[in-house]
Amino acid sequence: MELLIASSSVADAGIGCWDLESGAEQLRYKSCASPPHGLACVGQRFLASSQLREQPSASSGSILYWSWSKPQVEVKSLPAEPIKPIAANSHGTYIAGGGQSGDIYMWEVASGRLLKKWHAHYRAVTCLVFSQDGSFLISGSEDGCVRIWSLLTVFEECESQRASHLYLHSFTGHTLRITDIVIGYGGVSATIVSASEDRTCKVWSLLKGRLLRNIVFPSVIDAIALDPAEHVFYAGSRDGSIYIAALNAESPSTSSYGMHIIGSLSDHSKAVTCLAYSTGDLLISGSEDGMVRVWDPITHNIVRMFRLAKGPVNNILVVRRPLYLNLGSFSNPHTSSRRHGSQLPPPLDKYVTSADEDVDNKGVIRLPSLYNAPRDASYISHRTIDNHLKELQQQGSSAATEMEVERLKHECNRTLQMVQQWKKMYENLHEFCVNELLDGDQVDGSKRNAV
Amino acid sequence: MARSKAASKKQQKQQQKRGVDFKKIKRKLGRKLPPPKNATNTEVKSKAIVLPEQSVASEKAGLAVSKKGLTLKELLQQTSHHNSKVRRDALMGLKDLFQKYPAELRSHRYAVIEKLRERIGDDDKVVRETLYQLLKTVVFPGCKEDNQGPFVSLMVAYIFNAMTHLAVDVRLMAFKFFDLVVQYYPPSFSLYADKVLQNYEDILRKNQFYLEDKAKLRSALAGLVRCLSLLPCNKRKVDSSEENMAGQKILHAFELDMPAESSGFSSITKKLKDLVPVLVNCFQDFFPSVHHMPLLDAQSFDCMHSILQSIDLVVGFFGYGIHQGKPASQLSYEGPDEAIWDHTISSLLLKKLFGVFPLNPTNHLSEKVDDRFFILNIVITEIFLRCSEWICPPGFLLEKFLQYIENALLGSVRPAVTHGPVKQFGRNIYFFCCLLFQSLCCKWQVIGSLVFFSNCGANHNNGILQAFTKIFEGCNPQSSLKLACLSAIEEMLIPGDDMVYPDASDPLFEYQITWIRALPQLLILLGDKHPSSSQVVLHLLLRLGQCANSSSPFSREYENMQYSLDKFYSSCVDRGDVYYGPFIRLSWDSQELAICGLYYFSNLGPFLLKSIAFCCLCSELEHLVLFRIIEVLHSAFSAGHIQIADYISFFMTLLSRFKVLPENIYPDVESDAKISNRGTFKLLTNTVCSCLSRIGDDSLVFQILEQVIFDQLLLKPPLDNACALLRVLVVLDCKPTRLSEQGIITLSKYLSGYLFEVVHCIPEDDEENSLPTHQQTCCYYMLPCFFLFDRSPKLLKLVLNLMGSLITESSSSPSSHSYTQYGNDNSNQINAVVSALLLMHKDTKVRKIISSFKEEVVHILQIIHSLQVKFLVTGNPENGLAVITYTYDLSGRSQVTSFSLSG
Repeated sequence: MELLIASSSVADAGIGCWDLESGAEQLRYKSCASPPHGLACVGQRFLASSQLREQPSASSGSILYWSWSKPQVEVKSLPAEPIKPIAANSHGTYIAGGGQSGDIYMWEVASGRLLKKWHAHYRAVTCLVFSQDGSFLISGSEDGCVRIWSLLTVFEECESQRASHLYLHSFTGHTLRITDIVIGYGGVSATIVSASEDRTCKVWSLLKGRLLRNIVFPSVIDAIALDPAEHVFYAGSRDGSIYIAALNAESPSTSSYGMHIIGSLSDHSKAVTCLAYSTGDLLISGSEDGMVRVWDPITHNIVRMFRLAKGPVNNILVVRRPLYLNLGSFSNPHTSSRRHGSQLPPPLDKYVTSADEDVDNKGVIRLPSLYNAPRDASYISHRTIDNHLKELQQQGSSAATEMEVERLKHECNRTLQMVQQWKKMYENLHEFCVNELLDGDQVDGSKRNAV
Repeated sequence: MARSKAASKKQQKQQQKRGVDFKKIKRKLGRKLPPPKNATNTEVKSKAIVLPEQSVASEKAGLAVSKKGLTLKELLQQTSHHNSKVRRDALMGLKDLFQKYPAELRSHRYAVIEKLRERIGDDDKVVRETLYQLLKTVVFPGCKEDNQGPFVSLMVAYIFNAMTHLAVDVRLMAFKFFDLVVQYYPPSFSLYADKVLQNYEDILRKNQFYLEDKAKLRSALAGLVRCLSLLPCNKRKVDSSEENMAGQKILHAFELDMPAESSGFSSITKKLKDLVPVLVNCFQDFFPSVHHMPLLDAQSFDCMHSILQSIDLVVGFFGYGIHQGKPASQLSYEGPDEAIWDHTISSLLLKKLFGVFPLNPTNHLSEKVDDRFFILNIVITEIFLRCSEWICPPGFLLEKFLQYIENALLGSVRPAVTHGPVKQFGRNIYFFCCLLFQSLCCKWQVIGSLVFFSNCGANHNNGILQAFTKIFEGCNPQSSLKLACLSAIEEMLIPGDDMVYPDASDPLFEYQITWIRALPQLLILLGDKHPSSSQVVLHLLLRLGQCANSSSPFSREYENMQYSLDKFYSSCVDRGDVYYGPFIRLSWDSQELAICGLYYFSNLGPFLLKSIAFCCLCSELEHLVLFRIIEVLHSAFSAGHIQIADYISFFMTLLSRFKVLPENIYPDVESDAKISNRGTFKLLTNTVCSCLSRIGDDSLVFQILEQVIFDQLLLKPPLDNACALLRVLVVLDCKPTRLSEQGIITLSKYLSGYLFEVVHCIPEDDEENSLPTHQQTCCYYMLPCFFLFDRSPKLLKLVLNLMGSLITESSSSPSSHSYTQYGNDNSNQINAVVSALLLMHKDTKVRKIISSFKEEVVHILQIIHSLQVKFLVTGNPENGLAVITYTYDLSGRSQVTSFSLSG
């Protein structure tokens, strides 16, 4: 039960949503003009997309939220500067956005708080990816640099002050804009593949922080998708074909496309702009002609085609159908929307709020009755834990003072005893010395007398 | 007498030759009696035939033997012979044998090494030397490919044994052996670093024999330098070596050497710490010799140099450890700085090493000696700069060093920089500047211990930078010094990890601007003769572009660079005369770098675009590069770095000016890429079309382009270019057409001429046996017209009318028409019209449209018909006949179609 979600840069196309199995089109969410990498599904709860600016004069682009059940935009937030790429971690607790100035913004979804903003690149950030476990954020920039951020380092004040740089690794191998980044499974030892306008894809090791492989393609690669087994990756190029590049084996150099490129899927007349891989072993590609094609990667045949828009398809997501989202809710959105009420989190903040204003009741979100999400409960438990902590601290401190007093008393006794002991010893010594002196005097006196 | 003497001599000789067995014992003294006359000569003459291998010849039949006929086994046995000469000979024999039979070594290497290693601690000097030569020239090179780990481990135990030998000679030689091992198998140092360093420490402590045996010590110290240079001290170097490694190999391969290398260096910090004082003391021991002897002899110089280099490397390693410690500090919270760097070393260095700086020759005797002192001083400076980050040197010391650096850069310490160790000098310049920049960076951040730089060093910094700039500008563009300067500049221009830019008030900023401005000039000066230097410059430019965003102070400089970079691509000398810059002849890598640099101009102006366009039009340019340029420019355009007007005019220039060779169209030749670049041009047309259609709103782009293309068409470009322009028009157009009324009229005038030209230019064979390629060629040129006709029937009507009137005009006033140069002749004119009509007829779609303009066609036919009659009357039968046949053909068919339509 997977949903295929696609958005385009043309505003009137909206976000298309199809059932991948049946091919039935679901709701179409309206008025979305997303840049590449500007669409994210936040924890399967709702869709978020950054928006292209309509006119260059407009001061900033916005980030919009759609709930599953309503085609209209529900929440609109205005960040401090135009955000192009956004990404959410798999639980949907954070949204990261990359700014035009090279800054990365990190918001907490539930409260909308801007947790952190830092200068990440010289030039505009072009894509952002969270690692599978959400502990790393990988960013690509217009200056060809790929940087890996460990969220642990980014958020801990002392760590970030101690190190000369925030990032874990900085890969500067690409000469032009980064167009796409994917990360494989495997936590710390995952493989990262980055594509750039310099016609290359580079394979990096997260663990060692170095280049593993450089693959030169016949044309610019705009999108990559990783095979779940990580044997190969698919690279959608501007010449309209999807190249298959080897990730593990030593490929024969006789390949007609180039080193490490095993083959290609080709039908697109126009450039491939985005790729996604579904768990049902299907490769999905979006093209500049506004079509979404579903491929069988084994037979290299097209299984399905969907039409999104006249303009280029910019983003494709494959998400598991949220449990509460049955087909009924699509058919009559009005009733469902009434049932759910406004369930989306508040808009994202523009600026970093100081730590004092930390206590923000917005964080405790109104839980919708229908979805069973233990991860949302964590927002409540966060508060609860805070309270618990406070209590514990208070209780603990009184108990601790008692213990401290007890200890001090004990110490006092011991010291007194010691003082006694020392006094005794001193007296003994004194006595001894006096005796010695007196004896000596007597001897001297007797000698003198003898003389 | 004489005879007998000669005889006796001979006898003696013979005796000597025969050896002891046939020795005659003299029993009597005095003169010999002459033999009686009848005496029979009983002497038997015999000659020995020496066959050394006689006894075992049969055994050795198939075996490899040395020159002396000894087998491997015998030789190995002889290596432990008690006689040193035999041992030496055996080693020589082994060398000889292995050189002749390399397979022998490979199969028995373990046995061989097990035997040979015993000789490492040999008492005899010559034997050890021979062994060294044997290992160096034969054994190690021979075993290079194999897994050397176990091989080396067999030897190392004996080497360490010899290192603790009583005889100093043996010990020193053992270090030489270890050096050899490290040379061929570098990981062995990290494996045994602990022991080796201990041994070095021991031997350097016992300094009573240094001064006697400097040559030996020199080689041992050279070994130490080699070992220590394996320590990771420069992050950049480590990275670059890894970059090279990435490539062909398997991605997730199991890595053998990893554990050995990574764990090896962390444990030896303590050992290195112990080593530093010993080295410093050792250096001090050389002092008297420096001061008392008038000349610093080569050997003690080498020793001193090696010692200093070793200290430098160790200090560098400490620094590396501190830098590395930062990311690792996530794990351990105790500060790594204190752990690695302790104050005993810093105070030691301060007192004993930096205190004596600079070393000065007592009397200036020769330039060579001056050079030597210079090098030593440079290395000390290097050490100082390396560790000035952690120790806080007192102000006067800093002053002294900065003064020295400044003087060195200005060349006042050593006036002749040009000859002598230029490389060393260059490396050091690079190094100075790296460190200087680091400290300057730190100045901006104002980190506690380094405030002193801003206090006492500022005036010197300025001086040093000035001197550096002078050197950079003064040196030969091709020289290695320039390269060193460039890498130093890169270090100083590209902000580091902290991404802090200098502000305009900083003195450094001024110099940075100067350097940036010098780069394009340098690039042009380098030309295409020094590809590696050019590549370095281009890479630097690219890096500069990458970090020159709008907030960077360099962005303006980078923008301005496009006005000086044009000569790198091409420049227009005179009208039409184009001078091509070095870009065209550079290698693919450099071109790629240069092209990528274009992307980062935030406003790529028409000036540079023009120069690039000329470059693109050059026939020498690889077509792959041409497409790459278009690709990158498209990326730059979509990132908003190029104005749309400039972008479009760039493409128009390409399409209208591209010279297609050969000019005549031969369909057969076309497939041959070597002769014709028509294929490239077709590809170019496609690429440009797709780029233009990707700009966005087609109708807007069309509006912009319409007039431009008409202007170009009216200039009458060659057929291919016209076709390309028409194709662009078609791609952006839609059905119904977007052409304006005026546009249709203009276009119709042009198209009638264009159709004639197409028909004329493509050599037509007989109608019957025309090849499919020919039809394809025709199709290629006609297709845009057909599209236009399809979208705007009005255009077709106008064109047909024009063709009709053209014939009448030309018939009334021959050769006066300005439209086409081919239509001078009446009959040619008519021919052309007819074949154009025929071509249109062949296409089914166009035929349908044409059929709706029956009147016009019939009108043309009527004119032709009347002409036929005229020709026949005026008595030009040949022309007339030709016309008749064509007309007949056409009219026949067209009438048939028109009839069928009407019926």
